[in-house]
Amino acid sequence: MSSLPPVPVTGIGCLCAAGTNLNECMDSLFAGKRNPFPPARFSSDHPVAYPVFEISNAFHSGGSNQRSDILFTAELALIAAKEAIENAGWNREAFKNKRVGVCIGTTVGSTMNNEEFYRSYRSGENPNMEAITRFLNSNPAQVIAAEYGLTGPCQTVVNACSSGTDAIGLGASWIRSGMCDVVLAGGADELCRVTYNGFISLMITDDSPCKPFDASRKGLNLGEGSAVLVLESSDLYRARNQPARASVLSFGSGCDAYHLTAPAPDGRGLKQAITAAMTACDKTVEDLAFVNAHGTGTFDNDRVESLVLNELLPRIPYLSTKGYTGHTLGAAGAIEAAFTIACLETREIPASAGFETQDPELPITPVTHQTPVKGSIAITQSLAFGGNNAVIVFGRGDN
Amino acid sequence: MVLNEKLKIIVIEELNLEDVTPEDIDDDAPLFGEGLGLDSLDAVELVVQVQKYFGVEIKDMDEGRVAFQSINSLGNFIEERRNK
Amino acid sequence: MRTAIAGLGVVGGFGYGNEKLSRVLISGKCTPKMLPLTTKNQTAELPVYICDTSPLETFINKRALRRVDHFSKLAALGSFLALEDAGVLQDDHQKLAIVVATGYGASRTTFSFLDTAFDDGDACASPTLFSNSVHNAAAAHVSILLKAKGPNLTVSQFEMSVPSAMMTACQWLEDKVVDAVLFGGVDEYCSVLGYCWQRFFGPDPAARMKPLEWGDQSAIIGEGSAFFLLTRDEGDKPKYGFITDIQIGHVRKYKPQSPEDACLFLGADGQKSSAIHYAQHIPHGTHSAVYTPLYGSFPAGFAFDMAIAGLSIQERTIYATPEHAGNNSGLKIFWDEQRLASEQICCLKFSCKGEFAMITMSVT
Repeated sequence: MSSLPPVPVTGIGCLCAAGTNLNECMDSLFAGKRNPFPPARFSSDHPVAYPVFEISNAFHSGGSNQRSDILFTAELALIAAKEAIENAGWNREAFKNKRVGVCIGTTVGSTMNNEEFYRSYRSGENPNMEAITRFLNSNPAQVIAAEYGLTGPCQTVVNACSSGTDAIGLGASWIRSGMCDVVLAGGADELCRVTYNGFISLMITDDSPCKPFDASRKGLNLGEGSAVLVLESSDLYRARNQPARASVLSFGSGCDAYHLTAPAPDGRGLKQAITAAMTACDKTVEDLAFVNAHGTGTFDNDRVESLVLNELLPRIPYLSTKGYTGHTLGAAGAIEAAFTIACLETREIPASAGFETQDPELPITPVTHQTPVKGSIAITQSLAFGGNNAVIVFGRGDN
Repeated sequence: MVLNEKLKIIVIEELNLEDVTPEDIDDDAPLFGEGLGLDSLDAVELVVQVQKYFGVEIKDMDEGRVAFQSINSLGNFIEERRNK
Repeated sequence: MRTAIAGLGVVGGFGYGNEKLSRVLISGKCTPKMLPLTTKNQTAELPVYICDTSPLETFINKRALRRVDHFSKLAALGSFLALEDAGVLQDDHQKLAIVVATGYGASRTTFSFLDTAFDDGDACASPTLFSNSVHNAAAAHVSILLKAKGPNLTVSQFEMSVPSAMMTACQWLEDKVVDAVLFGGVDEYCSVLGYCWQRFFGPDPAARMKPLEWGDQSAIIGEGSAFFLLTRDEGDKPKYGFITDIQIGHVRKYKPQSPEDACLFLGADGQKSSAIHYAQHIPHGTHSAVYTPLYGSFPAGFAFDMAIAGLSIQERTIYATPEHAGNNSGLKIFWDEQRLASEQICCLKFSCKGEFAMITMSVT
């Protein structure tokens, strides 16, 4: 299979518990900052409080969203898009005569699960229909397209935990096919009581800060956030004289076809995705600087990832950044893509937060300290409920 | 109703094992792997059902593995904890 | 672009299977069921084009379906019917890609999950229901049942879900990412949706859909799944023709462009808020048909227009638009069944927000 033309990334926006923009996030990661705590925005009646990585309350004016007409997820998507667009030197005017696509991953952002509305409906009241109208106006890709007057291809990917990675892979293919000049690709998801209860019911949450790949790991902590990358055609970014921060070299995906929630124990889907991505990117393992793993901190995920990385990429440094951000579901792949690019730029990766002790069952371990990395490419990978595995290979940019 | 009988009905109804009757389930037969062939998702679902019907908490899957060996072991587990 | 449609499987309020859909197209009639809509204080009735998924048990034994909910069963039944129709059901599907488009996802299960937390406390929320409530659960179940390990994608974008996802499916084939894609649009009815319908549109539902009466709110809720087996054009003549163009845009900047002699299948579904766009942006006198009164109004309904276009290509027949669809559209409506004279059928859908999608299907 011939290699694909690289797709330049000219701008990045990122927002999560680690910071309100990409620079802030990276400073937090390299400072080893992590501070999950029980949810402040909602309560539950579980006997134990499970820590989450909530975006600071200072960010919400008076504890509620800054915009009441759209869901917080859509708002997060807009904020990350704005940072990315400005970073790339674009604006609404400049988009006018370009074919601009939007591809965003989410889970909560596309689900009508407003508890207040449903509780009221169940008890025979006539709830205000605002919650429904807000939901209908909150499709993340549509919201970004409407904000910037964009009329190109528009897609909201709902592939659970791999949505963000899938969205970037798809967005890159729209550039390569010539369908778009620019694509805003990423993911967004807000913390939500429904998903909080859901993950707790699956018994895969940790009641202390999560410990990806650690021997005593108990599960994940949920988080929230968003990230958007500006992808553009090579001709366009050269014509604009805009530096590329990175390029999307390839995307690989594979489905376990095994179980609704558990990954295939042999990691077959992940192996398929990594192999496809590395084959298509026309680089070798020697060029690979590091892997940003999915690393949620659950028993099964970390076990499978560790086995696969040991088999396919045994000497490549890897880390999970979910110890700094929590598992941001539909946003995770995009946030981790942003981190991967930033680490390629600075040529170092932070410690894999939460890891201390090697699990005897896991053949390799993530980095325990800030680590300089060589190599001109890096992998970010995501494993999702339903068995989807998505892998992106990024190449270092012009800087 | 005898606890074991109730447990069999809960397993059948809540896990949607339509083709299984309480008589089909042996008190000592393994619930997971062979036997009924339940899996990890059934396990966490049973944890919730045990909480719902008996108010008994199974804290993690280490406890779960012990409790879910068979109907008998589950019955014993519940009895021990709900009389506390 | 040339994507071949090798197989088709449909499940709707009319029943299931292509033969059933053909019969309903010929008769021009499909009556929705009256479902009770019960809240604490009252019981009303709402017409719904509701589906029966029990035929799925001819393909898969009941035990394997014990944790599969209605939404995923709709998808699974549509999938199996499409593969059976293409004659490949027993083949190895390891490399098959799966793409699912849905407007609302597994809404019934989402609310059932909330029920378990509300009824017995947060610690009693059901993990099985939660796992099934994620949008990609249907695509996951189908991949497990078929052992399909190719790329797997679910897209959710209300009325634009199907065209947006179809764009990706066709691109994967063109780029040779895969050799075959199982593509489907699926949406389900739930009582909360019915309740919202009543709150938005009033307590007296229309007796029948009149999608061509642009000023009327006459939509009737439907649910269903329409699945396609898509392949590259390898020189054979596929049963249901080819997808040769996909346009997605917004009326603020573009108008849909159809080939001069094409017939238009309109996705107008009795929603007043989107009707205005059909009225404003389709030139008077355009040869058109509308079939939404045979399957109802739901976001993934666009896939049904494509299914009907596929059957029209197969039979070289334009089926009659159902009798009472409306008289004041200004369009040249196919009121009688006739031979398909043109080479292309364009399926066109506008959303209430002014987005549009036109997918062109070609006979050769």
